[in-house]
Amino acid sequence: MSTKPSFIGRFSGTFGTATFAALFFIVLLTINILLNPARFSPSALGVTIGLAAPLILAALASTPVVLTGGGGIDLSVGPFMGLVNVIVVQYLFMNAGISSPLLIIPAVILIGLLSGLINGFLASVVRIQPIVATLGTYLVYTGITLWLMPAPAGDVPDWIGAFARGASIVPILAVYAIWLGLRRLPLYDHLMALGGDERAAYTSGIPVTTVRILAYMLTGVFAAIAGVSLSALLGSADPTVGPEFTLNAVAAIALGGVSLAGGKGGLIGATLGALDIFLLQSILTYFNVSTFILQIAFGVILVIAVILNATPVQNALRRVGRSSHG
Amino acid sequence: MPTPESPTVLRVHDLRLTPAAPLINTTITEGEIVGLAGLDGQGQERFLEVLCGLDAPVSGRIEFITAGGSTIEIKNFHGAVKAGVAYLPRNRKTQGILPSLSVLDNFSVATLDRGGRLGLINKGAQRRRLDHYRDMLQMVFSAPSARITSLSGGNQQKVLLARWLAAEPRLLLLNDPTRGVDLPTRLKLYDVFRQVVSAHKTTLVILSTEIEELLQLCGRVLVFRDQTVFTTVTADQLRHAAIIAGIFGRHDEH
Repeated sequence: MSTKPSFIGRFSGTFGTATFAALFFIVLLTINILLNPARFSPSALGVTIGLAAPLILAALASTPVVLTGGGGIDLSVGPFMGLVNVIVVQYLFMNAGISSPLLIIPAVILIGLLSGLINGFLASVVRIQPIVATLGTYLVYTGITLWLMPAPAGDVPDWIGAFARGASIVPILAVYAIWLGLRRLPLYDHLMALGGDERAAYTSGIPVTTVRILAYMLTGVFAAIAGVSLSALLGSADPTVGPEFTLNAVAAIALGGVSLAGGKGGLIGATLGALDIFLLQSILTYFNVSTFILQIAFGVILVIAVILNATPVQNALRRVGRSSHG
Repeated sequence: MPTPESPTVLRVHDLRLTPAAPLINTTITEGEIVGLAGLDGQGQERFLEVLCGLDAPVSGRIEFITAGGSTIEIKNFHGAVKAGVAYLPRNRKTQGILPSLSVLDNFSVATLDRGGRLGLINKGAQRRRLDHYRDMLQMVFSAPSARITSLSGGNQQKVLLARWLAAEPRLLLLNDPTRGVDLPTRLKLYDVFRQVVSAHKTTLVILSTEIEELLQLCGRVLVFRDQTVFTTVTADQLRHAAIIAGIFGRHDEH
């Protein structure tokens, strides 16, 4: 047998559990470019990424807590993005007249840390099942947002507006930069160890509760950044759009090969999963397919992706990848 | 070997493993190798887990004296590890290995904060430490980045042992460390155990199902029966028969 791995073998070596999402991404991108060359031309790329950015960021935000395993999930990501949108636009910018990023960014990060602390405390100290605890905060955030601002209105500072145009990649890069920085800290290894096996992680001396809370706080910060990106896309405050991001983000990370059981996957998979959903949406919208069909297509593809990411199928694919070359 | 001036490492005060069991009191000094014997489920495993805070006793207190000389009470595992206690579990599949991670990550998870600056991880230092223990324990694996689950059982066990040796603990608790390990490897591990005791003044507590092993390594054996220490076999009486007698509940003085 040849020692050189086949193309499929090398590809799956690079992307791991995100292999399916990566292949799907290439196919979808090609179709999109053929159908709609103007939208995917280099000059329009900023705006196009700006359209996709809130979903990508919502998926990135959902990733850290899911990686810790033990049923870790944060359903409040979507409504929290909506809440940040309303706070930034309505309260900081319109009411208080604050437009400087030097004030808005720290404020937003602080709110993110606080939200993560609440979710993390409920899930790992009070020990409510994460899906229930964050469903609680999901409802609370949805309620607060609508209470603060019953109808869409407002305007955004120019620098936020740029995140929907030329600078749309910046919030995504910011999240990646934070993540790459964390990889140099013990926290990242602790997080992945925890997702691999909680009991073994505990008997390895890892402070399980602290790591879990920190993962929720990280999710909170990423979700806050997602809220800023959403504000850019909307160009105003809209109290109703946040919640839908939660389930789309969960779909995106599952599609991207981030195991909901924890310990497997990463930000690249989450990004590819979100891009797949965005590109699929864009194709189906091009053909004027009804939104009901759109939902059905999402559901079917999601299930197929999760099946393809399952360990037995992955192992079989790897065997095929090897023997096809031998 | 401990001398009369050796400082105390651990004090067990009026410990009760079950409500009805007699109290356990013992003191362990620096450089000792203490063995725990008994039929399965007679309390020796719980005792070991209580010593590192993984399990809580019915009553009583465990005091650990750190290298700096301060006394702390062991209440939970994380605190114990921070103070300088390490525990190598018996069941590596459920309590030991982190199955989704590499050999290097499994090895370094308890020592991530060592050798780095400003709290940053120093991957180079981790690799060098792993190389050191790879030679010392004669570990066999293809690369530090190999998945831990791709290793043989004996090598997984060595990675776990290396994880805790690298932490340079003051007190190392071993739960049946050579179970299912072949003879040459077993003898190699005995050498390593003696070496860490003499080189780093580490204190060992070894639970073993092999009486030979306890005779080879230990200066003192606590024999468990009915959730308490039935008898302590000291160095001058350390013979196969004495341990067997204790295990089966006889006070055999001959």
